[in-house]
Amino acid sequence: MTMHPRERHNQLSRRDFLVRAAGAAAALSGGGAMLAGCSSSTTAPASTTKKGELLGPGGLPLARPDKRVTLPLWEDPIASGLQPETGGTFTVFNYPAYLYKKLLKDFGKKYKVDVQYTSFDNISSGVQRLASGAVTPDVMEMTPDMLDLAVAGKLIKPLNLDYIPNLKKNVWPELVSPFYDVGSHYTVPYTCYATGIAWRTDKVKQDIAGMTQPWDIFWESQAYKGKVALLSEPRETIAMALLRKGHLNINTEDPKLINQAVADLKELNAICNIKVDDVQYQTIPEGTSWLHQAWSGDMIAAYIYYLPKGTPATALGYWKAEKGKVPIQNDCFSICKTTTKPVLSHLFLNFLLDNGVSYSNFVDFNGYQPPLNEIDPNTLVAKGVVPHNLANSVLTNADFGADSLQEMTLTQRGQQLWENGYSDFQAGTK
Amino acid sequence: MYKRWLWPGFAFPGVLWLILLFVVPFYVVVAVAFGTVDPILLQPVPIWNPLQWNVGWMIEVLHRFSPGGTFYGVAIRTLEYVAASLALCLLIGYPVAYYVARHAGRLKGLLLILIVLPLWISYMMRMLAWVNLLAPDGYVNRFLTYTHVLSQPRDWLGGQPSTVVFALVYGYIPYLILPLFAALDRIERSHLEAARDLGASPWSAFRHVTLPLSKTGILGGAVLITLPMFGDYYTPNIVSGAPKTSMIGNQIDLYFHGGPQPTIGAAITVLLAAFLTVLMAYYMWTIHRASRELPAV
Repeated sequence: MTMHPRERHNQLSRRDFLVRAAGAAAALSGGGAMLAGCSSSTTAPASTTKKGELLGPGGLPLARPDKRVTLPLWEDPIASGLQPETGGTFTVFNYPAYLYKKLLKDFGKKYKVDVQYTSFDNISSGVQRLASGAVTPDVMEMTPDMLDLAVAGKLIKPLNLDYIPNLKKNVWPELVSPFYDVGSHYTVPYTCYATGIAWRTDKVKQDIAGMTQPWDIFWESQAYKGKVALLSEPRETIAMALLRKGHLNINTEDPKLINQAVADLKELNAICNIKVDDVQYQTIPEGTSWLHQAWSGDMIAAYIYYLPKGTPATALGYWKAEKGKVPIQNDCFSICKTTTKPVLSHLFLNFLLDNGVSYSNFVDFNGYQPPLNEIDPNTLVAKGVVPHNLANSVLTNADFGADSLQEMTLTQRGQQLWENGYSDFQAGTK
Repeated sequence: MYKRWLWPGFAFPGVLWLILLFVVPFYVVVAVAFGTVDPILLQPVPIWNPLQWNVGWMIEVLHRFSPGGTFYGVAIRTLEYVAASLALCLLIGYPVAYYVARHAGRLKGLLLILIVLPLWISYMMRMLAWVNLLAPDGYVNRFLTYTHVLSQPRDWLGGQPSTVVFALVYGYIPYLILPLFAALDRIERSHLEAARDLGASPWSAFRHVTLPLSKTGILGGAVLITLPMFGDYYTPNIVSGAPKTSMIGNQIDLYFHGGPQPTIGAAITVLLAAFLTVLMAYYMWTIHRASRELPAV
């Protein structure tokens, strides 16, 4: 076989290949020695106060329902009495399909702006995209557990509540000046929900609400193998396992408790071939899931939008624990530092808290209840918005307060613990 | 001078493309894997200088890949799924490619179009279509119970490993058939005729002539489908959703999805890439050897 001289140096026999591969391996191990000189750190140091209390991002105190926190203002709010900006685009940054587009159009029409809706997969990635400058929204959905991070990173702007009179006028007293943002310096509440259990009453035979510990149903669900699922959320799944064992501190950073909760969750692989997803509002009414950890708003949405014709509302069951044992959350809205329309952004927050707007967003589109004085379970059942058997999925002002449970901001080390625990569960091994 | 740079110049767009869209992004992932995390915003802070790399994340991930570690079981499961899918793809794809290359005659063009046809629809949409087909009351169960293959509907979507493997096979098999077809189509008929003239049986001719000459196609197709399969996370998500059937790609997705340790996601990515480089190197070596031997045939 003849060969061009320039090609010859490329010849590589099996022996050459092995020799070179061995050489590469040796070089890599030498590289390892070189890397040994590099730094090696993974665990974030936990910052604490002089009294030993844990601090969150940027050294901000960690808010808890029984520990109210006033967030510092990193700049002055805008002055009162300014005229709203008009023209151009007004961008709302939110979960997909979490705000009625008709209402956005109405707002745009009223203030002569083109309203654009940009979405994120989850709040963490949303905040990260805002921080990286990948998006430049005017207002965005915010959750109390991400608030410290957003304020410490100066990602959201302080509010001037003169522009948001609907906050005091319409919102539940507990959330007018909530524990995580005393004085509502940065947020107004948007929706609220509890975490509980949803099931198909025509498939699941046990009386879940009557069980001593209803969370045990997941560990007694052998008969429903393949039809049982948990929320695809690290905080919710691990918190559920903690609550099942009677641990009410769902913001714990104790590795022993978290590891035990994860070990308990892993038992579900063998018991019911547990699944994880966030589409319970669809799979429960359609009957592809029979038992699912679920947010209260899911069952209202399931009843309003996804229940197939011919399936009675009584086929849907929902349970949530009593106050002090049930995880409750509320979502918020904030004004982003990237806004070019700060006055209009304030007016948008006020618009969201308007009784008519908020109610329409709830019953015509979203299914997630706004924390408004006008809304109570009896009225909703009387109007037929919520069926009688799902009345317990509607929250009231009384569900919130110092003795309630909310998943709140953790230290960086705490977040690592929870994420690694969830990774262990997600790996699906014994 | 002009002639010296003319032909290499044709490679310039490709090289530029590779640098911009592969080398640079991959180095970013490496720099993130050996970087740190912003303590306030929890964003990755890449370290560009290898001499200053933080090896802590990589060591932790390596530790978790060791037996008993969090990633060990999921890595083994990924290997099993990919190996099973590859074997099934070959078992189904080779006869198809062989038939199209050697016996399809005038239908060759049509059959090739039919093989490529599913690729016109997005992968996600095809998988979602299967979710409906595999539902308890879907067409698959209806057909199998009607034909008495199954006595009662099977819960295909209840977190079954077989469903994930089936979905991987379905999703990637066209990418195996095409290079296989190209390799088989290139084999000179005269080689086979020579083998038969020398007394080889059809099976013997296939084993000693066709199969060795199609080796590059087999390897090319195998590399083409196994590389994306190893990083796949949406297939198990869509057709299963159970942690028990998750793959290593799901762990990468989890850590990159806005959590406080994107560096772990990057470190798994780098280790996976290193592992796949070994497979790729074997493929390159085989191709190189085949191209050397080709003129001698």
